[in-house]
Amino acid sequence: MHDELIFENCDHSRDPVLGCALEGVASIVAGIQDVGMVIHSPQGCAATVAMAFDSHEIDFTRRKVACTRLFESDIIMGASEKLINLVKETDRTFKNKAIFVVGTCAADIIGENLEGLCRQIQPEVSAKLIPIVAGGFRGNIYDGMELGLKALLPLIKKSEIKKQKSVNIIAPQANLNPTWFADLKWVIDILYKMEVEVQAVLAHNTSLEELENAGTAAANILLSHDSGFAFAKRMRELHGIPLILADIPLPVGLKNTARWLKALGIYFDAEAQAEQLIKDGDDRVVDILRRRALMIIPRYRNCKIAISADATIGIGLVRLLFEELEMIPELILFRSQTPESRRILERELKGLGISPRVAFGVDGFQIQKALQDVEISAVIGSAWEKYMAEELGIKIAFDVLAPTNRDIYLDRAYFGYEGMLNMLEIVGNDWEKTFRSKEIDWEEFQSC
Amino acid sequence: MSESIADSIVFHGHLGELYRLAKEGKIKTGLQGSHTRPCKFWTATKILSGIKNSVILTHGPSGCAYGVKKTYKLTNCRNSGSMYEPVVSTNMDEEKVIYGGEKELKGAIMEVDRKYHPEIIFVATSCATGIIGDNVDAIVEKMRAGIHAKLMTIHCEGFAGEYRSGFDLVYRQLTKLMAPPSPDMKLKLADSVNIVGGKMGPERTEVDTDVKELVRMIEGIGARVNAVIAGNCSLEQIRRAPNVAVNCALCLDIGYAIGHAMLEEFGTPLNSTILPYGVSATEKWLQGAAKYLVMEESAAAFMSREYDAVRNEFEAAKKFLQGKIAIVEGHDAIKSLSIAHMLERDFGMRVVIYNFHPWSTEARETSIDYLLETGMDPEILITKGTLAFGKYESMRQTENELLSFIGGFSPENTVYFGSSLSFPHIPVVDLNAILNRPRFGYRGALKVAKCIQTALEYSFRPRSWLTKRIVFPQNAGFASAQSLTPKLGQDLPDCTVYAERRRGKCMMS
Repeated sequence: MHDELIFENCDHSRDPVLGCALEGVASIVAGIQDVGMVIHSPQGCAATVAMAFDSHEIDFTRRKVACTRLFESDIIMGASEKLINLVKETDRTFKNKAIFVVGTCAADIIGENLEGLCRQIQPEVSAKLIPIVAGGFRGNIYDGMELGLKALLPLIKKSEIKKQKSVNIIAPQANLNPTWFADLKWVIDILYKMEVEVQAVLAHNTSLEELENAGTAAANILLSHDSGFAFAKRMRELHGIPLILADIPLPVGLKNTARWLKALGIYFDAEAQAEQLIKDGDDRVVDILRRRALMIIPRYRNCKIAISADATIGIGLVRLLFEELEMIPELILFRSQTPESRRILERELKGLGISPRVAFGVDGFQIQKALQDVEISAVIGSAWEKYMAEELGIKIAFDVLAPTNRDIYLDRAYFGYEGMLNMLEIVGNDWEKTFRSKEIDWEEFQSC
Repeated sequence: MSESIADSIVFHGHLGELYRLAKEGKIKTGLQGSHTRPCKFWTATKILSGIKNSVILTHGPSGCAYGVKKTYKLTNCRNSGSMYEPVVSTNMDEEKVIYGGEKELKGAIMEVDRKYHPEIIFVATSCATGIIGDNVDAIVEKMRAGIHAKLMTIHCEGFAGEYRSGFDLVYRQLTKLMAPPSPDMKLKLADSVNIVGGKMGPERTEVDTDVKELVRMIEGIGARVNAVIAGNCSLEQIRRAPNVAVNCALCLDIGYAIGHAMLEEFGTPLNSTILPYGVSATEKWLQGAAKYLVMEESAAAFMSREYDAVRNEFEAAKKFLQGKIAIVEGHDAIKSLSIAHMLERDFGMRVVIYNFHPWSTEARETSIDYLLETGMDPEILITKGTLAFGKYESMRQTENELLSFIGGFSPENTVYFGSSLSFPHIPVVDLNAILNRPRFGYRGALKVAKCIQTALEYSFRPRSWLTKRIVFPQNAGFASAQSLTPKLGQDLPDCTVYAERRRGKCMMS
């Protein structure tokens, strides 16, 4: 149904818009409470790890990260001793329950036997040692999240008994909402209203105990369409926990939210609560927009727009923009490419009866080229797209996703009803700023 | 000195002594495992980011390129209005790590040339390609003939050197893009200088930055600036750079590498002094430039005019500060040494640099040598917190140690030059704030004088309980100013708004 874009001169070179696998691994580790992390790497990789901790907004008092700071002689002669000493020092200083020992490109390529080393020194340290090989070349941030999640599997205890109304939430951080934890909170609140218990979030602010008991959940919910599918599959194979709601868009926009809530209600026998949530949500959005945003109708109707996003938010945006705001999504660019997100998008486009230009796994060059080649009036994306749009003469750029140019003090969900309003508020303000006159003939006013 | 601070002291003496002990291996100069600085790859690409119409092609996995792009390029878009600029990667994956990435590199060079049409492609190596041993030089050599852009290899594997080595490497490499001086061009640029030691890209247009102040002063004495290398300079500016009358180092340590290389290679004179904080250092910097420009007279007239404009407030501050004690935060070595120089030379204060990490004695050797040669040997105090493993947790410790140290000094006689994220009971002068720019030159000296004056005038006001609690949350154990930032947050001026990370939240400074 869609017209997939093909780009020239992109077979060997890439202008990345995503971090590497190390960042993904670190992003999972950063989501677990009371653990330390030893990075076996040159010191620059610590910046990548810091980005992951930043994304969880973890205060530095809670960052227990050490780096072996590998130099040339370490690469040539090996640095096992250095690593052993640092692990011991980290254990003594931080006194965490577990330490993740993470090897990055350098350690990965020289073949440091992290598993063997961890086994060897485990009797001498109090913390449980968990090795992860995470060379940045093993993929992008989403691949890294899968690696990080995979490393958690051995920590999850087998349990034949499942708690009836309970779920694990997977990969909430694989979401370009700059305050993605607000989306997570919205989901947890909804589950609470449906009397569904959250067993473990994998991983954000998660205790080791919650992680150990993740095997008791009745279902897994993936909060991303960019990462976590492989982990969810392994959870089904190893622990018999099914993945639910993974074949529909995430709750972005009214209809998607309603569909997601209904599906959740049906699964957990809470249809009445779901219907009530939908009614209340719809009423609230309509009431607020009626009072404060009537202009969204003439403003946005038939505006040709590009969506440059992750699949998590982007798939939901298609219906929101087309059906609810009467815009025309002419171009859809996703930073990731999973078979699952392709299938969901394909179904959505078919259902809506539209055939925009589409590209998956895009880099900076491809985003810029597509924005240049496809006729659009607006783009919804991040700060990257905002600056590209400026250069290309696309007047309207909605800076909604990470990395964003906005200072955000309060967490704002994009999922759910308030989430839709949060996005529309940014869109409304960015629209307004676009059309404010910037070239003023002051002399004309002075002569008055 | 109180007993508690005496227990915490690791070193208390003069810079020269610390320097000697470090050289003799009698004091540990390594950074703790909990401390990391940008690697050689990051520092190299920071300089490369300051060259217009160039593309950095990183041969390695994409993460290294993305980190640099998000930190430097996006920041330039946000702060300085730059266009979107790529940082390209050969995107090495597992297969290429095993079988080699030479084919990818060849393809990538051709694609970058066709896609972006840059004047030059910098091929920057990464840890991965450095270890697997791809013959990057040979590939680049072979490719030269077939593409339009110039090509230059930068061997900046992250493991291949300390933080500063990336700066030095790129600056030395840039000299290879320079044409030897010619009589004609020397004549054309006889009234010109290069400011060397810049990095990252264009200056912010809405901020009176230090670099812009240097340019204003150079122009004030009747000369011109050929290029700020590498602060948004073109390849053509770099090419003709050896013809200028003199290279003026922006930052003594970082500018020295390229200035020295150009001196050796092309005989371009080098004017290298400490950062021009304060009148005395500014005059040295200007006189050094004027000597080679043969503009001593106009420089003297300019300096006189400039001083007259700040005289009253500057001398009032001087009168007040003379003989008083200045505690200078030492986390940023060069800045602390430069401020120490200003406070001692301009204001006649007794300076104590607090928590100058011994690591800096190696990383900032050039500045220290210069300072000692000019007869300055400030007092240094290093407490246990600075050297402790798990720095972030220990910063409450350093704050307490600072308060304990300062506890013995009266607020009437002592001023603290450092971050306003510290809360001593004496007046705090924070020169990093965006409103306190420029800090260089006479206008900078006036800013400093005004900062001091304001800090003193309002020293009756207790520090905000709100800001103090933001920095040191209640019941947060070891929480600290450092806990707000991945690295030395207070080193970062708030005009360096690193993209996405919000103010000061970037460790790749």
